[in-house]
Amino acid sequence: MYLYTKILIFSLLFFLSLKVYSESRDEIIEKGRELYNGAGSCVACHMQDGKGQKGTIPPLAGSDWLKESSARSIAISLRGLAGPIKVNGKKYYSAMPPQLLFNDEKLAYILSYVNNAWGNKENIITKKQITQARKELPQDVFTPQTLLKRFPFDKKYSKKNGTFTPTYDDTLGEISSPVLYRTFMPGASPAAFAVALPGNHYYCWDAGESRLRYVWTKGGFIKANQAHWSSNGKPVAEFNGTPYYRAQTTLLKNETFEELSKTNMQKPIYDTSQAVDFPILIEGIKEAPSFLGYRLMDGFPIFRYSLGKHTITELIRMNSEKTGIKRIFTISPPTKMTFKLTPTEKASMHSDCGKIKPDGTLSLSSSESSKFSIIITPKE
Amino acid sequence: MKFFLPFQFFLFSLTMLGVTAPQYSVINVPPPPTKYKNIQIDGLTFLPNGKLVVCLPSGEIFLRDLKSETWELFAEGLHNPLGVIALSNTELIVTQRPELTRIQDLNGDGKADDFEVVTDQFGMSGNYHEFNFTPVRDRMGNYFFALGTGSKGDGVRTITRGVFNPKGRPGRMHSSAPYRGCIMMHTPKGKTIPYSFGHRTPNGLGFDLEGNLFVTDNQGDWVGSSKLFHVQKDHFYGHAASLAWKTGFDGIPIKTDIEMLAKMRSRACVVFPHGTMANSPTEVLAISEKANFGPFAGQLLVGEMNKPRIVRVMLEEVDGELQGACIPFIDGHPLGRGCNRMAWAPDGSLFIGQTKHTWAGGEGIQQVVWNGKTPFEIQNMELTQHGFKFTFTKPIKRKIAEDRANWPFKRYFFEYREAYGSPRSDEVNIEIRNIVVSQNEKVVEIELAELKPWHIHEVKIENLKSQTGEELTNNYIAYTLNRLLEETPPDPLHIKKQEKN
Repeated sequence: MYLYTKILIFSLLFFLSLKVYSESRDEIIEKGRELYNGAGSCVACHMQDGKGQKGTIPPLAGSDWLKESSARSIAISLRGLAGPIKVNGKKYYSAMPPQLLFNDEKLAYILSYVNNAWGNKENIITKKQITQARKELPQDVFTPQTLLKRFPFDKKYSKKNGTFTPTYDDTLGEISSPVLYRTFMPGASPAAFAVALPGNHYYCWDAGESRLRYVWTKGGFIKANQAHWSSNGKPVAEFNGTPYYRAQTTLLKNETFEELSKTNMQKPIYDTSQAVDFPILIEGIKEAPSFLGYRLMDGFPIFRYSLGKHTITELIRMNSEKTGIKRIFTISPPTKMTFKLTPTEKASMHSDCGKIKPDGTLSLSSSESSKFSIIITPKE
Repeated sequence: MKFFLPFQFFLFSLTMLGVTAPQYSVINVPPPPTKYKNIQIDGLTFLPNGKLVVCLPSGEIFLRDLKSETWELFAEGLHNPLGVIALSNTELIVTQRPELTRIQDLNGDGKADDFEVVTDQFGMSGNYHEFNFTPVRDRMGNYFFALGTGSKGDGVRTITRGVFNPKGRPGRMHSSAPYRGCIMMHTPKGKTIPYSFGHRTPNGLGFDLEGNLFVTDNQGDWVGSSKLFHVQKDHFYGHAASLAWKTGFDGIPIKTDIEMLAKMRSRACVVFPHGTMANSPTEVLAISEKANFGPFAGQLLVGEMNKPRIVRVMLEEVDGELQGACIPFIDGHPLGRGCNRMAWAPDGSLFIGQTKHTWAGGEGIQQVVWNGKTPFEIQNMELTQHGFKFTFTKPIKRKIAEDRANWPFKRYFFEYREAYGSPRSDEVNIEIRNIVVSQNEKVVEIELAELKPWHIHEVKIENLKSQTGEELTNNYIAYTLNRLLEETPPDPLHIKKQEKN
């Protein structure tokens, strides 16, 4: 009994202390409402109903600029906003000066109110957020452009409200037809391809060694191409994902893609004249493959290269279940051969012509080699 | 005195800004609808059917129908294409970083579907400066293209293409991957060879009307001032790094005795004085029968990235070698900077593509149209026994031309040295001995007190007017005097040993 009383008292004290140190959401909003409506305050321009004034002062009620980012309204309040701004599709021409009258605490109240008045349903803004922003934001008055650059709209939403200016990579969000770039890729010779397949699987194919280097699906296609295209061509493309398949070569040890992106080496790890571990083994052929070019079929590149007297083509598409890639090879003239894949726990591999051994070896007869497929699918 | 200052300044600015004869107008061409905003033009030519072809850094190739004024995308995905020639309406040859590539539209849908390696028998270290410039094709069907060296601004990649050669690696601009700094030849039989050596940033090959091959080079290490070379097989043009790939050359190129390098070196047929004529020359384009461009047929145009300028080059054979003069031609606003690629349109006008790639330059496409009337320009400058003969496009005012004070001649040379660029050395004014104006008053022969071989001789003609009172549009001209008509002394080499600390 004594114990229960003790718990009860402590709980009461606890709730009381909470009451002292932390205000309820409603209380914060109420304090904000008072400040907002104070004489000469926000209300003077944005009006009591938060609807602003046609053509000059943008509305706060239902404003798309408040959506999903408190950072924008904090920035505008602290630094001001110059230049016409389009809010909910309509243009407003007045500038907003920085709000110098309010300290961080008061500004937090006001913005919390604005975020939750007139049907707005956004976050409560804390004093800490304001203090931090005051420290970190550049001193200049914002324009809608500089503000959006710093605090962009959610992509989906900005497409809707007309403020969306796509970067090239944005147009690749969902791949509906194949995209091919020749560009510098990490972990490949400087003569590399980056290809995106419909269904958002991506691969790097190396013309310097006529072989597939790696395949990935998560994290999107390559980035940094804008830099590549606008500059002197130096940047090596980046991607976010982890390849679910990566062809092994004994010349590379455990280098990360970051290490393999280096452009400031005194000498290379190896040059393509030293390349080993070509995946297609044909008896009697010792020379390296020679890249011949590619042909587009429905936008998909069909790479072709010679290996001795043989011409080999490789076409990579999604498999029929759209769960991974299907590599379709032709060899002419056909020949008995061995294909060496790199076994990995991240992907399962099979062929339409025989069984791939645990060590990744696929042995094909001469007739099988004329056309065969290898399917590689990531394991979840 | 102070009163005159602003006026003098105004005159000074005008001459600095450059002018184009009023008989030429510069028109902006609407940019192609690239997915990427950047409109740098790195390749430009015309199809036999008259469509304009342009290559962009984004790897896109667009075609423009000049009649319907519409763009269409022909190909995409290329790696920094820096030059294009059209073999037919559906077949292009392009230099891109990794290859010389044949691009074809096989199914006739207007979009390229086959990309065939013509040759990739050269190396790539992955250094950004290893550009692959401007394919050209000679009458025998040989292709030539120009490989840039790597820059000290960066190193090499982790995997490089072609045999890595550590001997070519040291130096400001390097050649550690095969044939960087060479002009390459690819024969119809499929052989690819390094054709000439010693190039630094050879951004622009071109033939004259006789079929001589030329290439420009940009000022830098081993290149005292930008140049135009007459490209000949196995010649070495001065930039040391690519010697790493020359058969019979031993040792580390930049550690080789500079006197030995200087003796191996073939001189430029035209040096573009740095700062005053051109700092980053680009493509070479002959003023051909196709051109409708004034009384300059057979001469060469050379683009310039750094200034809004296209330079005109006039060459002559002296003592068995080509040499000659350069003069600004299409100059200053409204021409943009970055003039990188040029071609003659079906109507004989000049199309120009502009680029920058982070250097000084510009963006866009412009067209230069001649109105058919004669501009007042120096038509030609030729070497004589004791001076130079100037031919003008129009009769000149005899009295002005006969005034020696109007011909302030200077001469100087640029040193051959490993360090970047070169100051003007041995720069002196040259006294005029005699001036003879021809009876038709279009030719002026200047006799100089001294002609100094292996020196640049330049003059900024003053006050000269045509008989109808026009001012000479471009009055600054520089003649690269290597050889005299007779008894040329040996090349003094003009070397400057690097002080190493």
